[in-house]
Amino acid sequence: MNAIWAIASSTVGEAIRRKVLLVILLIALLLLSIIPALGVLSARSEMSAMISTIFFVIRFTSALIAIILTIYMIPNEIERRTIYTILCKPVQRWQFLLGKYFGAVLALALMMGIMTALSLVMFWFLKHPDASKMAEVAKQPILYLVEMSLLAAIAIFFSTFVAPLVNFFISTGLWLVGTVLNPLYDSFATNPQTAPIMKTMAKLITSILPNFANYDVKNPILHPGVVIQNEASYYLKTVGYGFMYIAILLILGIVVFDRREV
Amino acid sequence: MKDSKKKTLLAIAAILFVFQGFFNVQIIHPQWTRDYSLGKQSLASGLGADQAFLELLGFREFLAGMLWVRGDTFFETGNYDAVLPIIRLVTILDPKNIDVYSTGMWHIGYNFTDEEQRSDRRYLPTALALGKEGCANNSETYELYYEEAWLWYHKIDDDYPQAVKWLSIANEHPDITPARKNLMRNALERDGKPEEALQLLYKLKDQAQQDYNQDKNYEARNDLETLINNIDTTVVRLVQRGNIAEKNGWYASGDYDTKNPFDVGFSAKVTVTEPKVIVVEGTWNVLPVGTRVRVILRDANLPHSVPGSMDWDAMATSVQLDPPKNETYMQDQLFVRNRRFNRRIDMSKDPTMYPFSGDKYLIEFYYNPRSAPPHIQDKFGWNGEGMTDSNFLRLDARPDNERVVYTTLEISRDQLLQQGAYAGKVTVLKTKNYHDTAIPTDSLDDVIMVPSLRNSGATSASTSSGAAPGGKAAANAVINSLGGGN
Repeated sequence: MNAIWAIASSTVGEAIRRKVLLVILLIALLLLSIIPALGVLSARSEMSAMISTIFFVIRFTSALIAIILTIYMIPNEIERRTIYTILCKPVQRWQFLLGKYFGAVLALALMMGIMTALSLVMFWFLKHPDASKMAEVAKQPILYLVEMSLLAAIAIFFSTFVAPLVNFFISTGLWLVGTVLNPLYDSFATNPQTAPIMKTMAKLITSILPNFANYDVKNPILHPGVVIQNEASYYLKTVGYGFMYIAILLILGIVVFDRREV
Repeated sequence: MKDSKKKTLLAIAAILFVFQGFFNVQIIHPQWTRDYSLGKQSLASGLGADQAFLELLGFREFLAGMLWVRGDTFFETGNYDAVLPIIRLVTILDPKNIDVYSTGMWHIGYNFTDEEQRSDRRYLPTALALGKEGCANNSETYELYYEEAWLWYHKIDDDYPQAVKWLSIANEHPDITPARKNLMRNALERDGKPEEALQLLYKLKDQAQQDYNQDKNYEARNDLETLINNIDTTVVRLVQRGNIAEKNGWYASGDYDTKNPFDVGFSAKVTVTEPKVIVVEGTWNVLPVGTRVRVILRDANLPHSVPGSMDWDAMATSVQLDPPKNETYMQDQLFVRNRRFNRRIDMSKDPTMYPFSGDKYLIEFYYNPRSAPPHIQDKFGWNGEGMTDSNFLRLDARPDNERVVYTTLEISRDQLLQQGAYAGKVTVLKTKNYHDTAIPTDSLDDVIMVPSLRNSGATSASTSSGAAPGGKAAANAVINSLGGGN
């Protein structure tokens, strides 16, 4: 555990020092600061538009950070040969991979935390919502963190055997597809004109690919009239689903990385 | 790592992979669809690549806002056709945007007109369907139910049970404003149920009184006073029009305003003066201003047609932005002045709205006393019991033997377009009773002397027969018999 923790903490330090990630974070913070000016786009739903845009900025930039942070982790270590100094110590490869992954998740959590904190402060200053509304708005970024942890697991899995550029496109593509899996599946399932084979295909794809759409729970936050049944149960299930998929990807990553020549 | 450990790990991963698929599709997904899905329409259909990208990233509300701002510029420039796809896209992207649904319904229902400002009613099913969809997506608020009811009540102005149905749902929502609940009274009256309207008014008045007692603000007082005034008006009308007498069995002995149904003497003549231009003239023996006779020119075999209207509800099944381009449906109002009407209807400037692609057409004339203004209804009654027409009174045109005036004239495409055998010929069609002689306006013997709203009730009834209660006594009888006044 100590080895994993040591690698994770050094990974967080590296992530903080990487300029590209800081630039992305800075852009996100700038975007968040101009959100109040976008209220004009929705006269009567100003608050909904504002919250929706906050969520978008957090989600999009977090995804970018998650992918860029993780796709270079292992290839860079190999390329710079720094991995030898780590693996020659009594550190197993699986510990190295897990340490890198948890470090990435911690760095992600830190950056998302900064974005969320800024958003909440800005939201409070502009709208003076009550505590319950603030808590409502804070829920979504928590699930986004699970979503981004899953995305980081995908990127780190592919980083064990593909080049960073290829990995970038694979991870981004999977995330984009994963964000529309639920609406896609619903469209096929509810359309009576869809051929049965297409419905089966949609079900199969939804079962196989990581489903990022599950983490989009902003509907009741944006529209307070929507009644949710058993919200806590849903949150637990989606978090459980995310951990399950992360475990699968990390196991596969460990197995692949163990066989790789470095 | 040992191979056996790897195999164990891979086996665990395989089991987890199968389980996550089942867990995602069977357990999480149904709950997500029920609670967190934004709407039934989804995906980026109809969006540009950049818009689709934003939509896919869950940026739907922002994109909807941007599109709606774009739609606003089209509104300002009068480019109404361009607004339609924007309305559709915005409602797909943001099904919770009530403003877009309500503005969209109004725009589709009212803004597509010909050169003479007649609405293109082929769009009405689209507006109604959009409203239905909006209600389904926003069932937590009264707003779109109210808007849907308003379309039925004001725009369609005929199938009043529909207005009552949608208003009933709107009124059940706790967020409806008190003043808006009052429309239900008008809808019930137009649905021929004035006593139910009065009961509703009493109920609303009690609520308004409670609200006023709790907070004596201007709005609460205004609402209360409006309701009291409306109750007064309705009670007096119920008395004067004989409804309460009818209910209590003394109608025959009293001199009520609706007694001796008045023959409106409808007749009409249609002249095709130029291709696609008709002049409609005729008689209606009601002198007071306020009568509007509906005239429709439509394909003779138009699906879903009913006398004097269409079965709009049956047609409003899906949001179709393009109305049926090959169908012709023109509806206008004939305003009666000095007991005659005369209107030139020019359909030549709007070939898209009036394609005239069929061979046979019907010109329909329709008058429903339920749509009449109150001063006319004071004679005709809410259900036309004080109105008749020796030639064209119809009891079979509407459900429940509603008393309406209805007749049709047939005309061919060649006659309307003055082509073929009718090239250069002026076609004249008349109802059998039409007479060109002007009705003398110096004699008012056969003209309804429309009573003004009297606060003395059916005073003449009580004085002439001595049997029926009149004035305040009758009003009290109404209040007591309908359970009000508490």
